[in-house]
Amino acid sequence: MNRRHPHPPRIAGWILKRTARYEENFAIIGDFDEEFQEVARERGALFARFWYLRHCLRSSPVFIKDSVYWSFIMLKSYLKIAFRSLKKHKGYSFINIFGLAIGMAVCILILMWVLNELSFDRYHEKADHICRVTMDIELGSTLHTPVTLTAVGPALVRDFPEVVTATRIDPPNRASVKYGDKLFQEARVGYAENAIFDIFTFPFVSGDPRTALEAPYSAVITESMAKKYFGDEDPLGKILRINNERDFSVTGVVKDVPPNSHFVFNMLCSFQTYLKEGDVRDDQWFDVRFYTYLLLDENIDIKNLEQKLPAFIDKYLGEAMKASGGSIKLSLQPLKRIHLYSDFERDMSANSDITYVYLFSGIAIFVLCIAAINFINLSTARSSTRAQEVGMRKTLGAVRSRLIGQFLGESLIYSICSMVLAMVLLKLSLPFFNSIIGYGLRLNFVQAPWLIMAFLALAVIVGVFAGSYPAFFLSSFQPVRVLKGFLKVGTSNSHFRRVLVVFQFAISIALITGTLIITRQIMFMKNTNLGFDKEHVVVIPGMNEGLRKSYLSIRGELLSLPGVIDVGASDLVPSRGHLVGSFLPEGFADNQRQTLDYMDVDAHYIPAMGMAFVAGRNFSEELSTDQDESVLINETAAKKFGWDNAVGKRFVFRPPPGQEGETTYVSVIGVVKDFHMQSLRKKIEPLIIFYDSNNLFSVSLRLAPENITHTMDLLKKKWGELDPNRPFNYFFLDDAYDSQYRGEERLKNITFSFSFLAIFIGCLGLFGMASFTAEQRTKEIGIRKVLGASVTGIVRLLAKEFLLLVIVANLIAWPLAYWAMNRWLQSFAYRTGISPLLFGFSAVLAISIALFTVSYQAIRAALSNPVDALRYE
Amino acid sequence: MKELTKIEEILLLAIWKLKDDAYGVKIRKYVSQIVGKDFTYGNLYSALSQLSKKKYVQKTLGEPTPDRRGRRKIYYTLSPAGVKALKTARDMNQKMWEGVSDYAFD
Repeated sequence: MNRRHPHPPRIAGWILKRTARYEENFAIIGDFDEEFQEVARERGALFARFWYLRHCLRSSPVFIKDSVYWSFIMLKSYLKIAFRSLKKHKGYSFINIFGLAIGMAVCILILMWVLNELSFDRYHEKADHICRVTMDIELGSTLHTPVTLTAVGPALVRDFPEVVTATRIDPPNRASVKYGDKLFQEARVGYAENAIFDIFTFPFVSGDPRTALEAPYSAVITESMAKKYFGDEDPLGKILRINNERDFSVTGVVKDVPPNSHFVFNMLCSFQTYLKEGDVRDDQWFDVRFYTYLLLDENIDIKNLEQKLPAFIDKYLGEAMKASGGSIKLSLQPLKRIHLYSDFERDMSANSDITYVYLFSGIAIFVLCIAAINFINLSTARSSTRAQEVGMRKTLGAVRSRLIGQFLGESLIYSICSMVLAMVLLKLSLPFFNSIIGYGLRLNFVQAPWLIMAFLALAVIVGVFAGSYPAFFLSSFQPVRVLKGFLKVGTSNSHFRRVLVVFQFAISIALITGTLIITRQIMFMKNTNLGFDKEHVVVIPGMNEGLRKSYLSIRGELLSLPGVIDVGASDLVPSRGHLVGSFLPEGFADNQRQTLDYMDVDAHYIPAMGMAFVAGRNFSEELSTDQDESVLINETAAKKFGWDNAVGKRFVFRPPPGQEGETTYVSVIGVVKDFHMQSLRKKIEPLIIFYDSNNLFSVSLRLAPENITHTMDLLKKKWGELDPNRPFNYFFLDDAYDSQYRGEERLKNITFSFSFLAIFIGCLGLFGMASFTAEQRTKEIGIRKVLGASVTGIVRLLAKEFLLLVIVANLIAWPLAYWAMNRWLQSFAYRTGISPLLFGFSAVLAISIALFTVSYQAIRAALSNPVDALRYE
Repeated sequence: MKELTKIEEILLLAIWKLKDDAYGVKIRKYVSQIVGKDFTYGNLYSALSQLSKKKYVQKTLGEPTPDRRGRRKIYYTLSPAGVKALKTARDMNQKMWEGVSDYAFD
């Protein structure tokens, strides 16, 4: 150490340097040093070091306090400048803020939807240990379904200690429920074993969850259903009559099932009822009606248990499988995967798909990106106007970090303004969005503080992200160059902006094309000839046993109503489910049973529906043998079995294995022209049609197209006389059929909204760009006009550049849209082609929108007086 | 115009009295002497930056010396506004103490 100049303590020096954030920083440290040397000379180095430390520690709190104070003062100045520039450039500011706000609103909206999708079934306390048994049956063809064999549940609990408990569930279905004079059609009445309350979390309001469904003819209802039927009375012990057939006594009331469940019910009846009536037996293996849910031990790996299932099936069904040549494979599906990862036939509820979650998250990010891109775009475009300011600030001593802070701050102000606007937009658009997606998403900022946090986080991220480019770019300008007016926004920079415009227009065009293709596919599906006439057919489902017995006389009474043209009955109607069975056509070996759809009809159903015959004849009421010995098949079935002349061919019915009985035969008396039992997503399956008057659950009436309202009134009155104990419940076949495409309609609405949004945001960006270019080229345009350029020539000059971009965007969007939509169309067995006209249409649309957007600025620039233009400096 | 705080008044007077030698170390010593206790650099510069924001003082850069390890001094001088403020303060003080004899509190 230098004797003459002792060194002050390093730590103290460091503290001083960090805390004294004044412009006088260097002078302060200098003062400290000078006085330190003075003290050292007078009283020694050691004392001086203490002196230095003491003063430093006493000063630094004040320094810190002051630096905070001064940074607030600077912030105030930044804010002031930011608002001034916001006010000065009202058009730009509006585009910036509004575009970002829309992007944010859409993003948050989708975030809400995605979170809702991901939350399905997760509220059950034991959700991690619940799974359901699913089944793949191979019998001729495969059936992949969550409906399992009735005996599986009890047998699994018996055989595997790791299965804690199991319940079978008869999926909630429509049923009429009567209490006193209150009679309603309930949408979701199901059957379940009491173990359901051990497995799932359905909190009880009253009643005992341990025994609620133990006894036959007991039922648990939801809170809102209890209110509907019993008002303020105590529901426990009350008797509800279901379908005018059975009485159930209420033994429990649970809270309403949350809508984010794959399994929703209003009423659960005791499964014991089935067992008591002998309709179902615990040891019944070949009975496929119910869903089975398991609660597993906490330490069990599902995969592990799954591996033991083939042996389990073999133990109980090995023999029977060998005899029939089929196979059954059981799998376990974790509860949490049901909503997003199900691809089963005959599932309990229409599940969603994880692909949609990815798709929409992608769209959300896209829209947000477009908005953020606009922001960057406009900010960089404006950089030359702001460059003067930056130059001036730099000359007056602003440090780069301050400038960066200023620009980031400005962009944060914009993004926070956008956030507030986005909240308003979200609030306004939520009902519309809900109607599109068919959900009840609700916006409650008070109940969901995460929403505000999400908004804020989004605002900050977008603000920083969008502001960073201008912040770092502008602050790097050399003041001398800027002030001399040499600043030229570099060509690399304008390339960047072009790429951005192309990118967002490509997205918009792809979305427009997608919307058009989806719309066409939906139109195609609704207008295709289904093989029967779905118009003006009203269906009355759910005939009970009494009605079925007297069906013939009922038919006569219905036919006598004016306006009713024909009446037929069946067990199923098109679009409302299909049944699959395995049958043995003549000429096939016993272990080559074939899978066919099957349905039961009466002799009038097929002509009443307008279905046509390819060969043979219809069932006849007069021929008593038709009921037991004759069937119809469809064309597909005839083709499948290679029957060129199917009439007269037979099906073999053997007695069940291990049971006595005679082999019987039924012969094909007619071939029906193929008709679509299911939506056009599915191929027409081979179908066998029986004439069975005991199974006719639905009546279908063909009505005259005139005066349908009047006919319906008459029908309602008549039906009230025939079936006084149940509400009149009916639907129109075309509605039911079209409602199968609700998912596609929803997709169409969503892509439509998004393409609208995307193009709107894209146009805002384009508009900003165009006005900027027009401003930048004011001088050029002025000179051109002076030299005799025409207005149209100048408009063309300005518009050309942007049109080129939009055309490039088209070229990018087409293959993208083609690829995506082609993949989407693959999921339909019957589909339209992708017409090149659609691409042309979306191109013309995009170009004209772009032209319209640009031309306003272009024309304004072209019409301006060249004198003003050339004087603008 | 807002009145000066006592510490601002002392500082401005110090700067005026120190004339060409009004920089951190000297000002601090002078003020410490007046108030009779060790006046910290923190309080000194906090007050000085307020004064320069109010434009009562002007800053000029001085020469570096070896004792300061090469760091320049900042010299403070009164601006016309600062002089005016001091004058007002003096007038006010005189009015305040008028009629109070020099021995009144002894």
